[in-house]
Order: sequence, then C-alpha cells, then structure tokens
Amino acid sequence: MVSLAPFIVKRPWLHKLMMPISKWYVNAAGYRKMGLRYDDLYEEEREAVQIALKRLSPKEAYERVYRIRRAAQCSYQHKLLPKNEWINDQTDVPYLAPIIKQVEAELAEKDALDAATVIRKAH
Amino acid sequence: MISRAALARNAQQAVRRSWAARPAQQRTLASAASSSGAFETSDGSGLKVASRDSHGPTTKLAIVAKAGTRFQPLPGLTVGLEEYAFKNTQRRTALRITRESELLGGQLASSHTREALILEASFLRDDLPYFAELLAEVVSMTKYTTHEFHEEIEPVLRIKQNNFYNNVAALALDNAHSVAFHTGLGSSVYPTPSTPSKKYLNEEYIASFADAVYTKPSLALVADGASSQDVSKWVGQFFNDVQSSAQSGQKFDATATKYYGGEQRTTHTGGNAMVIAFPGSAYTAPKPEVAVLAALLGGKSTIKWSTGYSLLSKATSDVVGLNVSASNIPYSDAGLLAVQLSGPAASVRAGAEATVKSLESIANGSVPKEEVAKAVANAKFNALDATQLREPSLHLVGSGIVNTGKAYEPASLVQGIEKVSAESLKNAAKALLEGKASVSSVGDLFLLPYAEQLGLRV
Repeated sequence: MVSLAPFIVKRPWLHKLMMPISKWYVNAAGYRKMGLRYDDLYEEEREAVQIALKRLSPKEAYERVYRIRRAAQCSYQHKLLPKNEWINDQTDVPYLAPIIKQVEAELAEKDALDAATVIRKAH
Repeated sequence: MISRAALARNAQQAVRRSWAARPAQQRTLASAASSSGAFETSDGSGLKVASRDSHGPTTKLAIVAKAGTRFQPLPGLTVGLEEYAFKNTQRRTALRITRESELLGGQLASSHTREALILEASFLRDDLPYFAELLAEVVSMTKYTTHEFHEEIEPVLRIKQNNFYNNVAALALDNAHSVAFHTGLGSSVYPTPSTPSKKYLNEEYIASFADAVYTKPSLALVADGASSQDVSKWVGQFFNDVQSSAQSGQKFDATATKYYGGEQRTTHTGGNAMVIAFPGSAYTAPKPEVAVLAALLGGKSTIKWSTGYSLLSKATSDVVGLNVSASNIPYSDAGLLAVQLSGPAASVRAGAEATVKSLESIANGSVPKEEVAKAVANAKFNALDATQLREPSLHLVGSGIVNTGKAYEPASLVQGIEKVSAESLKNAAKALLEGKASVSSVGDLFLLPYAEQLGLRV
C-alpha cells in the first residue's frame, strides 16, 4: 500500500498544513462518535493482527471488546453516543498498532531468514 | 563396472595415505597430552573465568550462575529464567539467535540444578567470538517480554513439569531432598503442578530475579577447548555490559544447609521408586568415606556381562526389573548419599531391604578387604573422570567458582579416597545407620515398605 503520510510527516511545514484537514477527516469518518478508537478498525483477518490481539493485556482486550459491542449497539439503534462519550484526540491512542508493527517485523524477519542464502567466507 | 583391481588399488592408496597422515596426528595427540587437565582461572573485570584448552576442534562455553532452585525467592523463578535463555534480546530476536547458531553449527542449551543455572553453547573452535558475545547478550540484554512468557515459556514449562511429575524416580529423589533439607536445597527442582503459578511466576518476577543473579559476582564463565588468552580477550570485549551488582539492590543468598531427615510417601500411578538417602559429602568438605561407600554399594555393574563387585548389584542380581544405583550427590555445603531404586513395587521392596542389609554388613565389618580395595579404586576413578569429561567438569568447575570462589579440585578428595580403609568405612556406615535417614517412596504404597520396617531411623 502506498501512503503519502511518511512524506508529509517528514516535512514540518506540510505536516502543519495538512493537520486541520486530517482532523476534519477523522471526525468525518465518524468512528469516534460511535465510541471506537482508530485501532479498533484494523481488519482482524490478518495473521499479524490475530497474533497482536492475543498479546493485548487482559484489560485492553476487555475494553476493546466493550467498545466494539457498544459501537455495534449504536449501529443497530441508528444512534450516536452522547457527545461526552465520544472518543477524542486524547483518548484515541494507538494501543494495537505498535504491537502489529512488532509482529509484522517478526514475520518479515522469519521470511527473510527462511529465504537467506549463506555466503561462506573463503578460507 | 569398476574392476576389482582398481578397488584394491584405491584401498592400498587409502592405507598408504593414512600412514602418511599418521605423524601429523601423533603430533596433535602429543600436544594434547602435554596440557594438564585442570582449568586455569582468571578474573576478567570482576567476572571469574575458567578455561581449559585440550586443543580439540570444538569448544564448549558455559555460564554458570548462582541461581539454582536453592536461591530462588519464589518457586519457579529458576525454571523461568532457564526458559528465557536465548529469547529476544535488545539486539536481536530469539529466531535470529537460533538461525545464526544453526548456521554456525552451534548448539545452545540451558539447564538448571539445585544450585546453578547453566547456559551453554557448543561450537567449532573458530566461532568463539560469536558465542562469547551471544552469552554476554543473553545475560545482560534479554528483554523478558510478556508475550514470549505466554506464548513460548508457559506451555513448555507445563510440559516439562508434567514430564517431571510423571517420572517417579525423579520425584522420589526430589522428595528425598525435601525431607533431608526442607527449604533451600530441599526446594523442588520443578514447581509442583499444584503451586499457584500465577501468584509466583510472571515475567516481571523473572526479570527482577535475573537482575539480582546475572551479576558478575554470581556468575562464572567456563570454557573447555579454548585458550585462556582468547577467552580473556573476548570476555574483556563483550562482558562489559554485565552489571557488577543488582540495580534493585536485591540479593538472594542461601542460608547454611541443615540436614533433617525423615520419610515421605506419595501414591503414584506412574511406577514405583524409592530413595534411601543419608547425609553425604559436599564439594567444600569432601568426605572420602562417603565416595567409597557409594562405590561399594554401587548397584550398576561397571564391567560388561557381569554383576560387578558392588554389594547392591550382587544382592539384587536375581530381583526382576529392579534399577538400583547408589551415588553421592554433592552440593556446595552439603551432600546426599542416595540409593535410588525403581521398578516393580515388589522388586523395589526387595531392593530396599537389600540396601539396608548391605549397609549393615559394611557396618559389621563383614565386607572382604579386596571388595573395599575395588571400591576405593572405582571411587578414585569416578572422582577423576568427572573432572575429565566435558559436561560434568564444566558443572563442577562452574559451581565451585560461584559458590566457593575457586575451581573445584579433586586432588584432596582423591588423596582422601586412597587413605580409606575397611575400618574407616565401617565407622562411616555405622554413623550413617545410627543417624537419621531420608526415605521417600513413590508409587504403590501397599507394597513399598516404611523406613521403620527396613530398620532405618527417620
């Protein structure tokens, strides 16, 4: 997947310029109004995400399930949460992304080692 | 089709080549013989290092830490630390460590005893720098991550624990230790399955235990098959990160061991085993009589196709399916002279009765002089052979260094063994029978005898 994000983050002036747009976009996406964090949206069908979910602490895992069920309930009822329960910038913390990143690095290393070629030094 | 003549010619050439190669081989053998079998000890920036060079093509490098089950503050920490060896470190992942060692043809292992935790690497001589760095990294930079604990360590631990608790012989020996020494040396080598493991064993406790025991004063680096210059060079380079005292300031020192004695009986469906144990000989104050007594009781034939000279193998030669062996299990400040029996319940009972009878016959002085002479020779061989073989000598030297500050030397024990006479053996056996024994039986308790029935005091 090609992403422009690293390109933008590297340039402070551009980063500053894009911030309001990104904020607007996040709010427009609407997941925060249903009480979800961004990390609750990762598709669970990937191997790395499955492993990462198992590595969550019991408290984090419980809260994640609670948020998802609350959002599902909102969806059935065609309602949004009351405004004071919305997720905001402070509470939308990445709790899963770092673990996914770590698991992906592990898997990539495994693949790389499986495909390694040994070059013997000449004696 | 290859003609017979061609084959014969090849064979002749091979023979001639091997003759030509002889002088070179003889030279290496001669140089191996010229180096003494003792370990040289040195102090590399606070870390005690022992090395021995046999000029062979392979090397074994081991870290012996004073972190056996005797020193653990909570049950299972030693085992947890053993399982965390060669897992993710700050520099590389467990997988990379495994794959790299495989590519170099090395073997990594970790194990523990009651007194020591041993991390060892065996490899080709040229790869010393790589494995020295690896061992230093394991000791100083392991991450002790939560997910490894849950994904890799806990399941393996459960399996090993079940394995241990289904092995009646190991269980009987463990119980004998616990009745003999209660806490410290008596604590179980594996946490019992009924120990509330959640309460005592987690990655944070293991990490703080590691912080306390992976410090320079409680570590010894033992190298077999590497020259002392090489070892000290690489130790100086790689072992600087090993801390010289615990960051938390914790210290787990053992209290002096006291012998109690007693009896423990456990039912078990997995077989029958008994251990009859008496206070034995320690590293620091070796009792030569105990070593000779263990050899004289024996149980296992040392010569093929014969029952051997030992009292137990002669007395139990017609008992079906019995496995019996007597040995002294030494620790730094105590030891256990243990006769281990396993097999069918009736045979174990017969073996236990024979054990006590044999001991009584030694105490009566009714053992012929030449049997004693054989036992003296055998005990001397066993003591010296342990320091010669790679595996036991690494353990002996490492435990000696971490517990007493100097490498184990068999010289005083061997001199003592040579002086043992039938008279001193008789007195030693008498003292053992008059003192308290430690008896543990596991299995079919209907058939296995009580210590009282055997005529032992507990």
